[in-house]
Amino acid sequence: MADPYEVLGIGREATQEEIRKAYRRLAKDSHPDLHPGDKGAEARFKEIASAYDILGDEKKRQRFDRGEIDASGAERQQPEREFYRQHAEAGPGFKYERRWQGSGPEDEDDLFTQIFGQRRAGVKARGSDVGYTMAVEFTEAVNGAKKRVTMADGKTLDIAVPAGLQDGQILRLRGQGRPGLKGGEAGDALVEVHVAPHPIFRRDGNNIRSVLPITPGEALAGATVEAPTVSGPVQLRVPKGSNTGSILRLRGKGVTSPHGKGDQLVELRVVLPAHPDEEFVRSLTEWEAKHPYDPRKQGDQA
Amino acid sequence: MTDRSIAEPEVISAVEHLDAQALRRWVDQGWVLPHRDGENLLFDASDVARVRLICELHYELRIEEDSLSVVLSLMDQLYEARCHLNALLSAVDAQPEHVRAGITARIKAKG
Repeated sequence: MADPYEVLGIGREATQEEIRKAYRRLAKDSHPDLHPGDKGAEARFKEIASAYDILGDEKKRQRFDRGEIDASGAERQQPEREFYRQHAEAGPGFKYERRWQGSGPEDEDDLFTQIFGQRRAGVKARGSDVGYTMAVEFTEAVNGAKKRVTMADGKTLDIAVPAGLQDGQILRLRGQGRPGLKGGEAGDALVEVHVAPHPIFRRDGNNIRSVLPITPGEALAGATVEAPTVSGPVQLRVPKGSNTGSILRLRGKGVTSPHGKGDQLVELRVVLPAHPDEEFVRSLTEWEAKHPYDPRKQGDQA
Repeated sequence: MTDRSIAEPEVISAVEHLDAQALRRWVDQGWVLPHRDGENLLFDASDVARVRLICELHYELRIEEDSLSVVLSLMDQLYEARCHLNALLSAVDAQPEHVRAGITARIKAKG
C-alpha cells in the first residue's frame, strides 16, 4: 500500500487545504466516469480516494502520522462501489443520450440510427428531450416575463420566465420535445436561459448591486438623489458624510425568488467634476495644505 | 438492473452530501431524469449512480453548478459516442474474416 502523502504528491507538512486541493486536482484527472477510455483510471482513483480518506480527515491523519494506523487503514471503509460508467456504457439507447442537441428531425437518419434504429423500433419509448437556448434581458430575469420563442420545427411556444431566474438556468417544458414512439409520451424541451449583463445592475445572489455617482457636495452635506432600481427610479437619501464605497441598502429592491426577496445595495462613488475650474482646485488644495491627511493610511481620514 | 424503482427519500439517504432541494433542482434542470408517478419521482439504478456522480463532482471536486451543465453535456456525448462505437465494433467483430480485414486495412490507410 503506497504512502498516502506520495499518492497525493504532497509533503508531510502540507496543510489540510493543500491536501484538499491536491485531492481535487488528482481526482479530476482520474475520476473513472470522466475518463471512460482510461483503463487505469479506476485503480488510480481508488488509490487517491484511500489516501484522501486518511489525510483529508485531520484526526485520522494524526493517527497515521503517529503510526497508529497504516496506509491501508482506510481501505476497509470503502465498499466496492459502482461507477456511473457501468450504466452509461450499457449500450445504445441509454436514457441520458442525446438530451443536449437542438437538432432538427434530419438527425433521425444519421448512420447510427440507421444501424440501431431497428432494434429500438417496436418498443414504446418516450420521445427525446430537445435543448434550446434563449436570451433574456437582465430586468426580465429579475422581474419575470413572458417570452414567445419559435422552436426548430416552426412551432411557437410561450415561455413564462419565472422572476428571479439565474443565468444558465434550464427551464423544462414538459411534453414539448420530440414525440414518443409507439404511444410513448413526448419528450421535454429544455430551454437554457442566458441573462444579458446590465450596464448598471449586477446580481449577487438575491441582492442586486449598483454603483451610484454623487458629487462631493452631495456626499459631504447629504442629499436626496434619484437612483435606478429594477422596478424603476426611486428617491434615495444620501446621508451626510457619505464617501466613495459607502453602501446604502434599498430594502426589497432585489430579486424575488422562492428563497425570499433580496435588497439592492447601492455603492456610492464620489465623482469630481470632469473639468474642475480654478476656484474648485484652489479651494481644495488650500484646504488640504492646512489639513493634511493621507487616505492611503488607515485611520488617517482627517 | 434498471427495473427497481427507488423513491426520493431513499435516494437522498443513500447518496452522501445530497439534500432534497439540490435533487429537485437537478431534476428540474434536466440533469437527472427520474420516472414521474404523479407527484412522486421514481429513480432507477442509473439515475442514482448519476446523482452520486453529480454530488462528487460538485461537493468533492468543487465544480460549480454553472459549469456542471457543460461537464454533463460533454460526458453524455462522450458516452453516447462510446456506446455507438462499441456497438459498431461488435458488429465488425461478427463479420467474416475478409470483411474485417477489409475494414482494418481501410482504417489504417486513412490513419
